[in-house]
Amino acid sequence: MIIKANSNTNKTQILIKEYLALIKQGVEPQDILVIVQNSHKKKNFIEEIKKLSDLGNIGDLKIYSFFGLCYNFILDNWAIIENSIKSDDNRKIIPNLCGLEISQYIFKNCIKEVDFSGYNSKTSLLHQLLRRNALINFNDLTAEEIKNREQILKESYSKEASKAINKYKLETIDKRAFDYIRQINLFEFIYKRVKNSFKYVFLDDGDEIIPALYSYLEYIKPEVKEFFIAYDEFGSSRLGYLGAININFEEFLNEKSIPKDNNDKKTKNAQKLFNCVQNDELIELENIKTKSFLRRDEQIKAVLKDIKKLINDGVKPSEIVIITPLCNEYLKILLDSSGFNFNYLSKSEKLYQNKLISYILELLKIINEENNVFLSPYTLKGIFIELLGLDEKETLKIIQSYKIAYETQNTNIFELIKESKNEQFQKLIRLREKIRYESLSFQLYETVINFVDMTKKNSKDIIKINKLLKQIYDFEEIFKNSVSNSALITQLENTIISENPLEDDEIFENQIIVSTAQKIIDYSYKTKYQFLLDASCDLWIKQDIGPLYNAWVMQKKWNKESFELEDNIRLTKDKIARTLYKLYLLSQNITLYSSVYDEGGMENIFGIDKYYKYKNENINKTPQKPIIPRDDQKNVLNYKGGLMSVSATAGSGKTTILLLLVEKILNGEIIEKIEPKNIFVLTFMESAARNFREKIKDKYPNLSELPNISTIHGLALRILKENNNYSRIGFDFDFEIIDEIKRTSILSEILNTLGIDGTKLELYNSAISSYKNELAQDYNFISSNRLFLKIYEAYQEKLKSQNLIDYDDLLFLSLKLLRENEDILSYYQNLAKIIIEDEAQDSSAIQQNLIKLLGQKYKNIIRCGDINQAITSTFTNSDVKGFRDFMTKSQNVVMDKCQRCATGVLDCANNTVKIAKEDEINAFSSLIMKPVENVNIVDKNAVTLKNFEEEKEETDYIIKTIKKIIKDDPKASFAILLRSNFAIGKWDNILKENSIKTYRNSDSLVNNPVYKTVLLILEFINNPYDIKHLKETAKQLYDLGLYDYGTLKYAQNLNEPIFLRDDYDEQFFWDMNYFLYKNTLNIYEICHIIASYYFENTPQNPNIALVCAIAQKIQNTQKTFENTVSRLREIQFKNNFSNIKFFSCDEDDKKNSSVQIMTLHKSKGDEFDYVFIPELTNENLCFSEENFKLKENSKFIQKVKKFPKSDDILKREIIEENYRLIYVGITRAKKKLFLTVSNKYKYFAKMKEYKNSEIFERLEDLCQK
Amino acid sequence: MPKINTFSENSLKILDKDPNEFKNRYEYSLFLLKKDKRAQLGQKFHSLICSYIRGFDTDKMSLELNEREREIWQKLKTGLSAKKNNFIKTEYSFLIKEKLNDDFYYLTGRFDAIYQDKNGITVYDWKTLNTPKDPENDLQSVVYLYCANKIFKKENIKLRYLSIEKLNFADVEFKNSAIYKKRTDEIVKKYYELFL
Repeated sequence: MIIKANSNTNKTQILIKEYLALIKQGVEPQDILVIVQNSHKKKNFIEEIKKLSDLGNIGDLKIYSFFGLCYNFILDNWAIIENSIKSDDNRKIIPNLCGLEISQYIFKNCIKEVDFSGYNSKTSLLHQLLRRNALINFNDLTAEEIKNREQILKESYSKEASKAINKYKLETIDKRAFDYIRQINLFEFIYKRVKNSFKYVFLDDGDEIIPALYSYLEYIKPEVKEFFIAYDEFGSSRLGYLGAININFEEFLNEKSIPKDNNDKKTKNAQKLFNCVQNDELIELENIKTKSFLRRDEQIKAVLKDIKKLINDGVKPSEIVIITPLCNEYLKILLDSSGFNFNYLSKSEKLYQNKLISYILELLKIINEENNVFLSPYTLKGIFIELLGLDEKETLKIIQSYKIAYETQNTNIFELIKESKNEQFQKLIRLREKIRYESLSFQLYETVINFVDMTKKNSKDIIKINKLLKQIYDFEEIFKNSVSNSALITQLENTIISENPLEDDEIFENQIIVSTAQKIIDYSYKTKYQFLLDASCDLWIKQDIGPLYNAWVMQKKWNKESFELEDNIRLTKDKIARTLYKLYLLSQNITLYSSVYDEGGMENIFGIDKYYKYKNENINKTPQKPIIPRDDQKNVLNYKGGLMSVSATAGSGKTTILLLLVEKILNGEIIEKIEPKNIFVLTFMESAARNFREKIKDKYPNLSELPNISTIHGLALRILKENNNYSRIGFDFDFEIIDEIKRTSILSEILNTLGIDGTKLELYNSAISSYKNELAQDYNFISSNRLFLKIYEAYQEKLKSQNLIDYDDLLFLSLKLLRENEDILSYYQNLAKIIIEDEAQDSSAIQQNLIKLLGQKYKNIIRCGDINQAITSTFTNSDVKGFRDFMTKSQNVVMDKCQRCATGVLDCANNTVKIAKEDEINAFSSLIMKPVENVNIVDKNAVTLKNFEEEKEETDYIIKTIKKIIKDDPKASFAILLRSNFAIGKWDNILKENSIKTYRNSDSLVNNPVYKTVLLILEFINNPYDIKHLKETAKQLYDLGLYDYGTLKYAQNLNEPIFLRDDYDEQFFWDMNYFLYKNTLNIYEICHIIASYYFENTPQNPNIALVCAIAQKIQNTQKTFENTVSRLREIQFKNNFSNIKFFSCDEDDKKNSSVQIMTLHKSKGDEFDYVFIPELTNENLCFSEENFKLKENSKFIQKVKKFPKSDDILKREIIEENYRLIYVGITRAKKKLFLTVSNKYKYFAKMKEYKNSEIFERLEDLCQK
Repeated sequence: MPKINTFSENSLKILDKDPNEFKNRYEYSLFLLKKDKRAQLGQKFHSLICSYIRGFDTDKMSLELNEREREIWQKLKTGLSAKKNNFIKTEYSFLIKEKLNDDFYYLTGRFDAIYQDKNGITVYDWKTLNTPKDPENDLQSVVYLYCANKIFKKENIKLRYLSIEKLNFADVEFKNSAIYKKRTDEIVKKYYELFL
């Protein structure tokens, strides 16, 4: 009997009815094999049979999941396997049917014996091989079929892979250790050698079975009297990486199926949804709502709000489910803080994330540790309080004594507590004596018995401890004494514990389930309300392809000769269609939540949201004034296709016009049938891309996907990631892009090894970038500088071995990928119907190549920039020449009206252009800025130039001027623009000393208040005895506006550690103690506690997750709390960590009439009412060749170039750029501009004379004239 | 509603002794897995016997045993060899549905082996070391004989506890279904009463 039915029907009930009918006819249950999808369904099936059976004997039920069947078959028939093994070594009566952690450990050791020389990523190799092995087994591939796949995929390492897998297989036999995947092999071996005893076979969810099971069914078919199969023709959500196969059961049994699908609206809608995804049509169904946001925290808050409403309306928690592919710490913390009871079905939790287990493991580490090792005081504190239940104050005192005793006498903690009379300490000492030299399992068992309450409150933890115990027993059984206790702890901590398919999740009535889509489908978990969270996250559509495996091609049914990009796209879409179809059938009301950014501030692309029609419900739009373009702007909007260059002067409203242009394109007014995905907008800075996206999102909230707006690096990353393109260049999905911190640390290590002076680091760092830029133009180019080449090669090797790429590689590799793979290139060329580039003057040669390549098919390219503002060419790879060339080949539109600056400022800027021209310096284009009538402030005296004798006079003048302006114009905005980052701190202090509010507009981490606060509090926790630091903390928190002046005063008067006091009236006292006693080894959690306490309802809220993520990443490598905290301090002045960029939430700060202090470079794109450019010395800005000293760095970089520039040319280029730099600074001013310089400045405690910058002199002359 | 509706002889023993302990163990999983060498050896013997009865060659498997254990195994095997063909089933899982007032509960377990000859049916239960002290009144005897009676629908059934290491045994004959049921009912009631 074949029943064609979906999960919206009572198909399982029908099967159960048939089952019971057989029993009624006298068939023995042991003759009936029932195969269901998983342990959860097995339990339900059995319960149903129990419920419907008559009183008395029900029988020996043979109801299994496929993996359960394998497991039981092996145990029952182990003799067959053992007897077939030749060697008498390690004979076994019962095999070790173990978990994946064991097989991963075995596999890891096998890989070491195979030479994968040249293979790109050593770190992902294990993952690659495990996946390959799993797919081969799930799909029951024969040796010939594997070979065929190797040819289709043109695999380079197939021999090595086979060798490693064979070694692994032999090793598992030797150890008699088989995980559930390996058990499939043994099952096949056995069933072909024992007589089948099943007369009837029931199969539920036939659409989700894997080929290995199908082979078994085929094998026993001749002996089976009747099959009862239920399947859904649109099902198979486990296709691909989970190995499901679409079987034609009618053909298999040679009988017609009975359609049992309710021909109801829901089924029809589900099928409609399925077809929509398959045919690229937007899904629009009445019971599906969509909500889209800017950030992930907004999504989560919206879900919680919706849940709250439902619960208030009487909906039961079990009627709601949250489905997300990203059930991470952040989500859990936010959900759990709501007070609702959530049950997370994701099993990805690592051991250290469980507080109790993490402390037990730490204690075991200590017990197994040598005597004289210094232990983390923070960890000890947690163990004593959380595990031993000691008093908090006493613990802190003991920890402090330990720190001192260790430092002075190398005293061991156990020696120290031996003296204590505390019974818990004595218990710990006795325990240590008892278990120190015993097995880890015994140690764990005894520790739990001694220090963990076996009460209901610990129930969940005990279950986890038992799982851990089981793993340790297995390890000990299989590896005997070959793994030390400490090594085993490390192994267990680091193992990614995958799910055991033989385990089931407990689901309770009063809980809201949070799960992945697959699990909800596997459990057929029906609810009234289904919330699809993170619909914009790419993990929904994760494809399973890597250099050593391909889940599509390794399917049993694969019959194509090649694997193309379009196969990947088609199959992925098919899988999504099946997943969304199945989810739809399981719920009555579905809401999708999506956001433009993920919690790390990165743009979300390739989610499932693009399949749904958006009807946003969460929009409270404020009506906007329509923008009326000026005449010079209209030319841009009149674009009709083709190549166009836009020369837009500073303050000409370029961003606004580009936005209008994108809107016109989106409205279909320029190119017909254009979709957002066909529009590519490239910005220079990520902040500009964010700004652009947010404006488009605001204007078109219902767009299910935005145009591609990104930096060039963002685009390159997309090209590498999308459709698993990285696998074509030998990368696995987990390749990481290193940040500047990591890059310099790798480089410094290399320089150190080679005995090169560390001060050369910056030099080689820049040289590597330049060299990679050269390589992108000519793959065969080899630098003639031998030492550099040696460093470069060592650097590349290091990246490769760790599966890392740097920012330069990102561009280089994406370009290479496109050049070498026609299918990928044509995919993007077909997409890129129009490309718009902003800040084109800063575009690098690689970027220009990429644009050219992508735009080759439609040739609709708009490049917009201002040559006069090209200020990055001397320290980046930007190539203004490229833009100049493009201008000659394209329709050139000029926007020369500047509506920003007062007329005097405009004159000053135009004078700068004039001076350069007079001096025959080719710094500028011929563009002269013009004011817009009735818009610009007319003020001939808008610019003030002042020359002072000494530095102090200059600063006093600026302070006085600012104070006066604030008085007259309280809402004014100010900026002090400086030549170097170095001077920012100085000016910040001077202004602060004079009670002027400042805002350091630098990207340094500590500039972010969340980062700063978290760092300070962590340091306090780290050392609560440091009163000086606490006072400083109080001051800084006061400066951030987090405490009032009373607190500051209170803290300044402290003379003993705050936790020893009883200042119950002081909020600061309560807060600090609260943080001090929050014990967790999970740095993410403690950071979140601190950050959300201070910033939850502030504009800084989105940065909370980012700070936590930075701390987490650091802890992953630094391990201890102490090291993590000190690293957080070390990197505080870095611009970003691990490419995490803070959301800019500084609007409020800016409004508070604070003075922004930044470099001239950083000011580009910004505008202020009043601008000060001080310290205009020749040293800071040089304009003549004779006075110019070329830096060593600049000269050296030329040496790694194919066509090195002479020193003279180089000098000239830098001077040209200095002209543009001052021009950029000048054009930031809306009302007034102040250019100042002094004759003497402090230099290492002495006053030193400086010459004025020539531009200052020249402008002064012109002004006077 | 009580969460647990299915009981084994072992869980009934715990429930009989201390209903709260039962609840902690089976509802909240409050117990720790312990490596028990004797129990592991017992499992190995179980597995060997089962393979042997089913006709597999157990020589290679038994090489895992140490000399003393192998000696035991040899003796055991010799003892079983004559009867081998009369074992009709090994490792037989059972599930019996019972009514208690308006509720149902289930008895479950696994017979190590079932032996049949002209005298009737013998359910074998291998014990690693000792047979129960008071086999007649042991709860395992009650549950097993009650269930065996339901399954085979016969009264000439006995339960044989066989000590593997000592090679002695204790037999318990089936007596009265109603008495058995009364005893299990009373124990199950203890659990249900926790919810009243």
